[in-house]
Amino acid sequence: MADQSFNLLHTLEPRRDSYGFALRPQHAQRYRQYANIYKEEEEERSDRWKDFLEQLVGHAQPCSSEKEHKHALQTEAADQKVEINSERLGEGEDTSNKKSITDGSSESDKETKASKVQTWAQIRSSLDVIENMMSSRVKKNQNIKDELITIGEKNLQSIEKTGSLKASEEFEEEVCINGMLSDIVKASTAENAEDGIYESKNSSGSEVIFGNGVSRNENSAMEEIAMDDGVSYSVNAGERKKPVNDGISVSVDTNGAENAVSDGFYGSVNYIGAEKPVEDGFSFDPFFPWKEELESLVRGGVPKDLRGEVWQAFVGVKAHRVERYYHDLLAQERNTDKNKESDDLSTAASKWKRQIEKDIPRTFPGHPALDENGRNSLRRLLLAYAQHNPSVGYCQAMNFFAGLLLLLMPEENAFWALVGILDDYFEGYYTEEMIESQVDQLVFEELMRDRFPKLVDHLDYLGVQVAWISGPWFLSIFVNTLPWESVLRVWDVLLYEGNRVMLFRTALALMELYGPALVTTKDAGDATTLSQSLAGSTFDSSQLVLTACMGFLAVTEARLEELREKHRPAVLVVVEERSKKGSIWKDSKGLATKLYSFKHDPVSLIEEKKTSKGGEMLAKGDKSHLERHSSNLDDLLDRLAVDPEVDSLPDLQEQVVWLKVELCRLLEEKRSAVLRAEELETALMEMVKQDNRRQLSARVEQLEQEVAHLQQALTDKKEQESAMLKVLMRVEQEQKVTEDARICAEQDAAAQKYAVHVLQEKYEKAVGSLVEMEKRVVMAESMLEATLQYQTGQVKAHCSPRALPNQGSTQESTRKSLLPFGLGWRDRNKSKPASAEESSVSKSTNEPIDASTPQKRTSEQE
Amino acid sequence: MGCSSSLPDRSSGRLVGPNLENGGAPDSKNLRVKLVLLGDSGVGKSCIVLRFVRGQFDPTSKVTVGASFLSQTIALQDSTTVKFEIWDTAGQERYAALAPLYYRGAAVAVVVYDITSPESFSKAQYWVKELQKHGSPDIVMALVGNKADLHEKREVSVQEGIDYAEKNGMFFIETSAKTADNINQLFEEIAKRLPRSTAQ
Repeated sequence: MADQSFNLLHTLEPRRDSYGFALRPQHAQRYRQYANIYKEEEEERSDRWKDFLEQLVGHAQPCSSEKEHKHALQTEAADQKVEINSERLGEGEDTSNKKSITDGSSESDKETKASKVQTWAQIRSSLDVIENMMSSRVKKNQNIKDELITIGEKNLQSIEKTGSLKASEEFEEEVCINGMLSDIVKASTAENAEDGIYESKNSSGSEVIFGNGVSRNENSAMEEIAMDDGVSYSVNAGERKKPVNDGISVSVDTNGAENAVSDGFYGSVNYIGAEKPVEDGFSFDPFFPWKEELESLVRGGVPKDLRGEVWQAFVGVKAHRVERYYHDLLAQERNTDKNKESDDLSTAASKWKRQIEKDIPRTFPGHPALDENGRNSLRRLLLAYAQHNPSVGYCQAMNFFAGLLLLLMPEENAFWALVGILDDYFEGYYTEEMIESQVDQLVFEELMRDRFPKLVDHLDYLGVQVAWISGPWFLSIFVNTLPWESVLRVWDVLLYEGNRVMLFRTALALMELYGPALVTTKDAGDATTLSQSLAGSTFDSSQLVLTACMGFLAVTEARLEELREKHRPAVLVVVEERSKKGSIWKDSKGLATKLYSFKHDPVSLIEEKKTSKGGEMLAKGDKSHLERHSSNLDDLLDRLAVDPEVDSLPDLQEQVVWLKVELCRLLEEKRSAVLRAEELETALMEMVKQDNRRQLSARVEQLEQEVAHLQQALTDKKEQESAMLKVLMRVEQEQKVTEDARICAEQDAAAQKYAVHVLQEKYEKAVGSLVEMEKRVVMAESMLEATLQYQTGQVKAHCSPRALPNQGSTQESTRKSLLPFGLGWRDRNKSKPASAEESSVSKSTNEPIDASTPQKRTSEQE
Repeated sequence: MGCSSSLPDRSSGRLVGPNLENGGAPDSKNLRVKLVLLGDSGVGKSCIVLRFVRGQFDPTSKVTVGASFLSQTIALQDSTTVKFEIWDTAGQERYAALAPLYYRGAAVAVVVYDITSPESFSKAQYWVKELQKHGSPDIVMALVGNKADLHEKREVSVQEGIDYAEKNGMFFIETSAKTADNINQLFEEIAKRLPRSTAQ
């Protein structure tokens, strides 16, 4: 089927991926990038698987007789399939079409993949070995329930046991084996019951692995030796494996009986469930040396062509399977359809039916395989499951699981796979109250707080609840929230491991991958949108699975179970509160009427009880599912009253007296019961109040956290302020320093001024002396003039008057020649200080000189 | 001298501080509103959201498991913007157990029914009661009759819707995600009815 769509859709890219599922347009690009990687990975893993499976076949060689047996069984199964098909033909449905849908990949397209498929077909037998290992797990779970029943009814012990086994004889196929083995089982369970719970469970666990209850109990000593002795192991295994199939049929039988019987013990089954993982830990390993290799292979992904088969092996389809059961369910479904809603149960059934009808076209809309016929299969599958397990009925999300399984395997196998997944792996998840899924959300939140405290703090701060993000992941098992390749890879591991650990690990891995991005978001809307879109683009499936499997080894089933126990009461209180508001009065009245009717007619009630114990799995009145607690109570009351009622058969009068006494006693009891009921109710109210208180305290806590946040902010602010102050101080200091520098500079300037002053004084002195010198020069000049005059006077006296004008001119010229000399010297002196001193200073000092010499200078210029 | 220059610095620092701290938070102009859609399965909750947020209509939409989230911002005439953070919940009855997770703290609840299905109308009434009991007290509720385009198959009259809404102080509108009729009006009307001071 998957192959078919695979081939078909290569041409349809990129609107759909290679599985035929719609791709979001924004992811088409990335999908194309990864398509090649997927292809390479696929090739690699199909090689690895081929090697591994061939090796397994090699191992299984010594017990070929067993293989033959298996083959025979397979053909038998195939025959039955044909039979069913032909029967459907009788109902006027088109078998040929159906075949194309319901048939496994091996038959769907022989031309294209014939060779490959053939290899797989050869190898397929070796899957049986894996199947054995896996189905041992299924049976073990059942055995645990088995044990419980034995313990629960210790007073009735093995007689009751055979009774229940006998009751299951309606599954006619196994009658003879059953008859043969029931004695043995009876013996062994009786033996087991004498051991402690743990011990007996252990023994039955390993017993199932060998499928050999008889030899286990009788020759346990011998087996111990075999386990120690490596050489003899394989031979022993070969011998022992022969009755394996008998073992299966036995457990299938008990399965039938248990489903009915265990109902009453539903509550306690949960608790014992906690011990499962502990047992899982060791029971596989010694007997399946290749288990580790298989685990790593599964983590690497299951090849596409093999996925359907491998998943069936993991879930234990064969172990679950009861011949014709599916067919009967469908037939019954059709009958009730014809009869139309006659009793109250059918209102619930019609509710599912309507919901299923609404949801079928909305399941993988547009997927090429979900055409008219595909949808019909889907409808049958969902209706059959709802019939099979009325406590779940139909819940949205199952439509996707059923659709996915239908794409990978034939219809009936898909049904059993769905049964395996929902009844074993996800028990209590999709029931009316969805208790377990709510519990898991609380558990996940706690794990998140442990693992990513900062991220959760941030989400808290934004007001985002972890469950907003993880809720849809868990409920849909990642279908529609991750790209398909990743979904399938996660499912591979999840189905292999047989519990919900992988669910948690994957969710944690997603948080690890995308936490850093989520921390940067600014409001609740952005955070949620981002988480959705990031998860939707997780195309790197190998990275995701590897991170999930390797990064969170501490998250184990044991740890989860521990946390679930811790959180379950809170959920139960809320659920109770809800249902109380809705229908408490109806419920309590129901209890009251039941008590009433019991007093009136206890025997009929006991009988009713017995019939329900008798294993009528298909019985319409599976009310015990709905009211487990009350039925437990009934049980208790039963036992209280049964013995005297049934055992007493004396004569009439005595009987009357006795009955009167009994009546009084019962009235007394009734009164005390009423009191007790009231007490319980007040206790419940108390609890509810406490819950309110819890909510309040949670609110207070939240507020406190906010306060803490604010305080943090405040301290931050204060720090900032102090930092600012520091900066200011520094600035001030710097200012002071600069001011100091300025004062220094001013002082310097003053000093310089002083120096200037001194210089000026000096200069003035110099000028004074210069003036003096000038005076002297003038004096000298006038003296010179006088001498010259004197000389000329003398010359006048000696010379002729003719020569006189000539003399005068020469005298003029000498004077002229002398004057420039004196002035030039003075000028030179004058310019010297001007260049040496500041110009301003020099100007002021020059003034007097200038004033004293203007006439001279002008005269000189002329 | 130094002091006088540092004073304005410090005071401006104080002014900026709180602004930075509440940088992402809404003020009176930019509201952020948590809205939750409730109603029976298949009445078209997801379709209304998709029409409003993406403007698309897909007649073959997928079943919503748990809940899904989308957000959209609209601008009003008075220049305020409203960012709707929309939680679209699963419709099946049993998912009601998980609904409080989503409607807790929601400022707006849009209760949707299908006008061709009286059953979905009574389911809507259930939700209204539930919200009145467990929702926040000042929650704004809208009653929406969807699939208004299928008027020839109508089984819940407009008057019934109006009456019930009036009785419970809700806002009522009939929409069609298919034809986009009244979808934007629905959200705009809701935005107008938000209490401005307390909305966040």
